[in-house]
Amino acid sequence: MTRAPIKATVTTTAIEVDGLIKSFTARGRTVEAVAGLSFHVAPGEIFGLLGPNGAGKTTTMRMLTTLLPIDAGSAVVAGIDVAKNPRQVRQRLGYVSQLGGADNLASGRENLALQGALYGMGRRDLDRRVPELLELLDLGEFADRRVMTYSGGQRRRLDVALGIVHRPEVLFLDEPSTGLDPQNRANLWDHIRGLAEGGTTAVLTTHYLDEADALCDRIVIVDHGRIVTEGTPEELKRKVAGVTVSITLAEAQRDEPRARTALEATSCVLDVTADGDVLRLHVADGSAALPEVLRALDGVGVGVVSLTLAEASLDDVFLAETGRSLRDGGPAPTGGRHR
Amino acid sequence: MKTLRDTGLLFWRSALQLLRNPAWLFVSLATPLLYLALFTPLLRGLPGVAGKGTGAVMDEFLPGILALLAFSAGMGPGFNVIFELQSGVVERFRVTPTSRLALLLGPILASVAGMFVFDAVLVGVGAAFGFSVHLAGLLILAALAGLLAATSAAFSMATALSRKEIQGFAAVVQGLQLPVLLLAGVLLPISLGPTWLRVIGHLDPLYYLVAAARSLAASHLATTATWHAFAVLVPLCALSLAWATTLYRKAVA
Repeated sequence: MTRAPIKATVTTTAIEVDGLIKSFTARGRTVEAVAGLSFHVAPGEIFGLLGPNGAGKTTTMRMLTTLLPIDAGSAVVAGIDVAKNPRQVRQRLGYVSQLGGADNLASGRENLALQGALYGMGRRDLDRRVPELLELLDLGEFADRRVMTYSGGQRRRLDVALGIVHRPEVLFLDEPSTGLDPQNRANLWDHIRGLAEGGTTAVLTTHYLDEADALCDRIVIVDHGRIVTEGTPEELKRKVAGVTVSITLAEAQRDEPRARTALEATSCVLDVTADGDVLRLHVADGSAALPEVLRALDGVGVGVVSLTLAEASLDDVFLAETGRSLRDGGPAPTGGRHR
Repeated sequence: MKTLRDTGLLFWRSALQLLRNPAWLFVSLATPLLYLALFTPLLRGLPGVAGKGTGAVMDEFLPGILALLAFSAGMGPGFNVIFELQSGVVERFRVTPTSRLALLLGPILASVAGMFVFDAVLVGVGAAFGFSVHLAGLLILAALAGLLAATSAAFSMATALSRKEIQGFAAVVQGLQLPVLLLAGVLLPISLGPTWLRVIGHLDPLYYLVAAARSLAASHLATTATWHAFAVLVPLCALSLAWATTLYRKAVA
């Protein structure tokens, strides 16, 4: 059985998604879970698909990883067309599902060895690769214990190790940190960053804003199967409210009107609201605005007790673009298609 | 040859899982032995074997238990598929370039191999109580039992894949179990029943295995019962494997 050689076009993109569409029919109703998504991911980038439950993130990822047939549009991963050459693309991508799926009755080491062998790796290669992975993901101590005894964080690290046994060019992670405590989340993020530094492209879905913010180089915000907005976390946040400056006045009752007038007269302050002793200002660029704000207050002789800057969050972005808060979640329009 | 290699890998995976599950090992061994221990005294009063002693009852009864083991050996992989669908294992394997046929054959062959071990124990214990062992007949019977176990394993895995939930799967399996076992005459000879019952019995694949098992265990090798069993079980096994593979190739959501 010989196959025509697959043309793996050398491109500067790790993933090219163009007009991707997927609809499901349930109880006679057809819902477009993914309604024409297009995005590109550069090699070595950590790319985030951010959105509420049911936004189509997981469905998108399942199409890109050959788990779901694509209705329309095209997806090229690591230079290979996913719909045309699913077998070849499987060899070049790794996937860590929401559920993980390691064998409970086997040890971490056994899990990794089997996974590698199924990717066609030989014994000699595995003898090197498995210990390397165990060390990379801090699993050495538990390597020979059965997975059923692992903690949530250890298990999730094993899931990631299973996803990268065969040194894939692109790693997909579906809700990687769900269910982990803050310490284990931060630890997992470090590992993902490390992989990206090593040249692996990582695509992850998340509905955690802080995760997208902390981890991703670039984000698309998805809602109802469509891209709402796209950019680096910084770009997206700058697009909305910029920075909130909270100023606690020393003599609020006396100084507040004067302070407000002075601040409103500056060019950088967008708006001012008072909240007890605290004045809140929105500015486009915190570091540029700060000297001007202080100068204005100083100019009218207003004493300041404290001053804090808070970056706009991605939640503000989502709210601005969709009119809904990401944290509300809301009912999943596609009816929870996560399996 | 990726299929062959993957089948080997997944066979070992399944076999190790079975060996590491002591509860399963214990029940799988205890159940057939309990059948022997509890049913043999009961059957002594049956016309035809009454007064002939434990050995004669064993000769009549033990082949049926071997057939029963073949049928139930196949149910394990189905339950496992349900569990592995829910724990993400199936999805993990589907993203790898693993041969789809191997994903099925690994667990099927492991359950068949497990069945052979329990068969051997059962025959050993039976022999100690007077079951007459005819090696050639038992080897042919092993081939037939392997075919039936593989059929039932492929069927249970495919059912599990299409049902996805334990409730739906358990309903199908339990719904089938009673009629299949009863009509095959595993515990009680179907010849005791009226004509209509015997006619429906012929629709039950297990019926052919039980009939062949009784004649093979008695060292009657080339009987029509044996040929019938091969004629029914070979195509049935191929069909259920083909069905399961098709399902596996299609998206398993």
